[in-house]
Amino acid sequence: MTQDVRTAPAGSHADHHAPAEAGNGHHGPPPRPTGIHRFTAPGWLRALWTTPLVGFAGLGLVCLIRWAAHWDPIWYSVPLVTVATVTFPMGLLIGIGAFDYWAYYFSGKPTRPEDHSGHGARRWQDYFRPNTDHKVIGIQYLVTTMAFFVIGGFLAMLFRAELARPGDQYFNPQTFNVLISEHAALMIFAVVVPVFAGLGNFVIPLMIGAADMAFPRLNALSYWLLPIGGVIMLVGMITPGGGPSAGWTCYAPLCSHQPLGQVFFNMGVQWAGASSIVTALNFLVTIITMRAPGMTFWRMPLLVWANFSTSTLVVLATPFIAGSQFFVLFDRVMHTNFFETAAGGYVIGYQHIFWFYSHPAVYIMMLPGFGIISEVVSVMSRKPIFGYRLMALSLLAILVLGFSVWAHHMFVAGMASWLRVPMMVTTLLIAVPTGIKIFSWVATLWDGRIHFTTPMLWAVGFIAMFTIGGLSGIYLGSVPIDIHASDTYFIVAHIHYVLFGGSIFTVFAGIYFWFPKMTGRMYNERLGKLHFWLTFIGFNLTFFPMHYIGLQGMPRRVADYASRFADFNLFISIASFGLGASTVVFLYNMIHSWRYGEPADANPWRSLTLEWQVSSPPPIFNFDEVPQVVGGPYEYGVPGARHAILGGATAPEPVPSGH
Amino acid sequence: MRRGSILQLILIGVGAGAIATAVAIFVPWLPTPASRQAGRIDFVYWFATVISLFIFAVVAAILIYAVINFRVKDPMDFSDGPPVHGHTTIEIIWTVVPAILVTAISVVSAIVLAQNSHAGSNPLVVRVFGQQFTWTFQYPNGKIFPILRLPIDRGVELEVTAKDVIHSFWVPQFGQKQDAVPGQVNSLVITPDRLGTYPVICTELCGLGHALMRSEAIVMKKADWNSWYRGTSQPAPQPSGGAGVSAGAAIFTQYGCVACHTFTPIPAATGKVGPSLDNLKASAAKAGQQLQDFIKQSIVDPNAYIAPGYQPNVMPQTFGSTIPRNQLDLLVEYLAQNTK
Repeated sequence: MTQDVRTAPAGSHADHHAPAEAGNGHHGPPPRPTGIHRFTAPGWLRALWTTPLVGFAGLGLVCLIRWAAHWDPIWYSVPLVTVATVTFPMGLLIGIGAFDYWAYYFSGKPTRPEDHSGHGARRWQDYFRPNTDHKVIGIQYLVTTMAFFVIGGFLAMLFRAELARPGDQYFNPQTFNVLISEHAALMIFAVVVPVFAGLGNFVIPLMIGAADMAFPRLNALSYWLLPIGGVIMLVGMITPGGGPSAGWTCYAPLCSHQPLGQVFFNMGVQWAGASSIVTALNFLVTIITMRAPGMTFWRMPLLVWANFSTSTLVVLATPFIAGSQFFVLFDRVMHTNFFETAAGGYVIGYQHIFWFYSHPAVYIMMLPGFGIISEVVSVMSRKPIFGYRLMALSLLAILVLGFSVWAHHMFVAGMASWLRVPMMVTTLLIAVPTGIKIFSWVATLWDGRIHFTTPMLWAVGFIAMFTIGGLSGIYLGSVPIDIHASDTYFIVAHIHYVLFGGSIFTVFAGIYFWFPKMTGRMYNERLGKLHFWLTFIGFNLTFFPMHYIGLQGMPRRVADYASRFADFNLFISIASFGLGASTVVFLYNMIHSWRYGEPADANPWRSLTLEWQVSSPPPIFNFDEVPQVVGGPYEYGVPGARHAILGGATAPEPVPSGH
Repeated sequence: MRRGSILQLILIGVGAGAIATAVAIFVPWLPTPASRQAGRIDFVYWFATVISLFIFAVVAAILIYAVINFRVKDPMDFSDGPPVHGHTTIEIIWTVVPAILVTAISVVSAIVLAQNSHAGSNPLVVRVFGQQFTWTFQYPNGKIFPILRLPIDRGVELEVTAKDVIHSFWVPQFGQKQDAVPGQVNSLVITPDRLGTYPVICTELCGLGHALMRSEAIVMKKADWNSWYRGTSQPAPQPSGGAGVSAGAAIFTQYGCVACHTFTPIPAATGKVGPSLDNLKASAAKAGQQLQDFIKQSIVDPNAYIAPGYQPNVMPQTFGSTIPRNQLDLLVEYLAQNTK
């Protein structure tokens, strides 16, 4: 961007740290508690004693029951760990005050009048407590998921070092299996799924002209469930006896007989899943009920459409993975027989339940990215998105079709063989709405005035990479080819082309795009572009050769492999270190620009959507006045067109739009 | 559009398509097929590749053309593009054409799948057992081997199952793969059509020895296979030591010990996953146990003593329940007598 467009209100965000609402009552932060009250007021000092109190109370209860029932031994790790992963986090949540308001309400105490003291960030400490401001929660989510992204990437570097040569180098098979399992589990459950909840949290209420999410306290809670889930999974790694090592898919019956660390995985997924469900419910209610006047469904930005579709998927599908992990846990802890063949369990049943979530999860991890790309491509091409309604409808088509394709992960699993062909047909049909999206983005570029800012680079890079990932998906959709390619490095290549070249590229596009809005500062454009090119090149060098070695006969999830793949793997490992290093550029750019970047204009991209019509960063309650939406969100090039009218001293004038 | 633009667009499309086609043709993506099924998979693969190349060329052409031609020359250019909101005909085309193409892929795939699941008349039925971390193959005469030997050009129906957790049977050159699932028998059809020795690979993560869970599939001339198979049906020549020894050797093979352990008296036992069993007396002395007790404990409770240089939890801890007691005693006796 250029100098003059963002010179305007450089210092204007300073006064937004004060609550914008004038008048009624006390709005400032309440007086700091002193003395002993510091240990009873919600916060980390209270969590210091509630966490062990509630945590050990749970463990004590387990021991008490075992003692009373004459079970031996009384101190037995499996039920203890299972209960500990519930009670310690509950103690923490109670301590930091995630339930305070509801506790007052349940117990019949007068609920405190809302003083908004838990809303917004006035100092950096406000990011480390339950906060009801969707903008703070959005940043909490993003920073947390990026931290997990770095950890997950580091784990990948470790096992790529092992894979640089055939044979065992640095890690024994147990450690290797833990590394691959934790890498995938973190990247999926603690990075790609929740990172979109972070971007959505920040952007969606602003985009639809709302003051906040529908349930701000629930929103505050749902964020805190995420780090709990991620940390539980990480703790599993260092459990005595061994970490979770059955892959992120955690197939029964293997995972029922893994070392103790597997329990942490089973329970970590529950916390992360609960976080997803609660956030998705919040998105749904927010999008359905809190749109600004005039914002009909057909005037919603496509990111809002995407989050609407995604949230529906999350709410409907996530309980299934919760179920699958609980069943595995029950088999281990309670000696049920869901998946124990010897006792009549149904092994394939696990996979059906697991993939009934985990395939829709692929779209949970992709649709919000589609939304981001639609925003970026339209704004940066200075053109309306091509075929807006078909773009929205194709999201819904993916949502519906997405529930009818799960068994394509099981073509070789030994499920009912008649299911293969119908599942193949629905799988391949998903290429149609997905193709519509790719063609429509490309058509939006056509004849545009394309500004190759960093977010746009990521968006175009995404379109290219996702096209490759989509085409390799066609091969995998076809049953005979899938039978050959299943469980090989071809799958590893495909999943990274859609989840890294796909989802993560859109995440970077989104983070750079909304960075000025979130922080009030511009990121460094040159470093952003450097980050893109390093990642783009490193990504392709890392993952493209995997297609080949997979089809040639290298299975996934092996620490050791045939010597004829040695050169390829060495090449891939070296490329992957380059890919990992590119993240350093990103982190430096983000941290440095957040502190020292040039102040950003309210609307550096000249976008029409609502979040750009308020200051950067936005006022604490987003809009001083409810905006009036009068047209579509992408009316670039339409003379006189407006998406919304703010600060409505003048009566809203309906402006003809393209729709 | 100007004519020059159309020409440029087509040139980019042809160029991108040509590069992608060269990558598709000159890189030998799939292994050379060694079965009729793999040959058919090759066909579907090329069918899908032609369609993919076409789609790739179209998207690449428009994307690259747009990136080159429609970027603003001057970052201060604040003009907007033409307010085109869509084009119904184009949108219908790019909905219908891909739908037709993927339907075509579906139909071809479904036909090939049906053909690949058909073993023809008089198939050879072989039972495939996956267990941590070895494959065993049981032939119609009841004999069990650690290596899969197949006659060329005869339909083979593999009945794949597992003894503990899920494994997956894959021979890349055969193109066919099937999970081995405990508690159920899955069918997989292979008609080998090229002589040679190919790797049998486990592709489903099955525990610590997963990467080493390998065997071999040998495709033999029909006459060679017939004489080999007749030979296995004869009562095996008695090795010195009598019937007990041959029974012990059979148990050793049947439970897959050969895949992980080297044991000189049995030529097939060349596994490297676990320690060699040729020097058990020394190990028993090191563990401070009687030889027989030591061997039995090492089978039933393998974590009790870990040979130097090896990891615990690699050997399955289920043999105590899967090997019947009388067979276990025979096996222990056999090992005790034949080790050094």
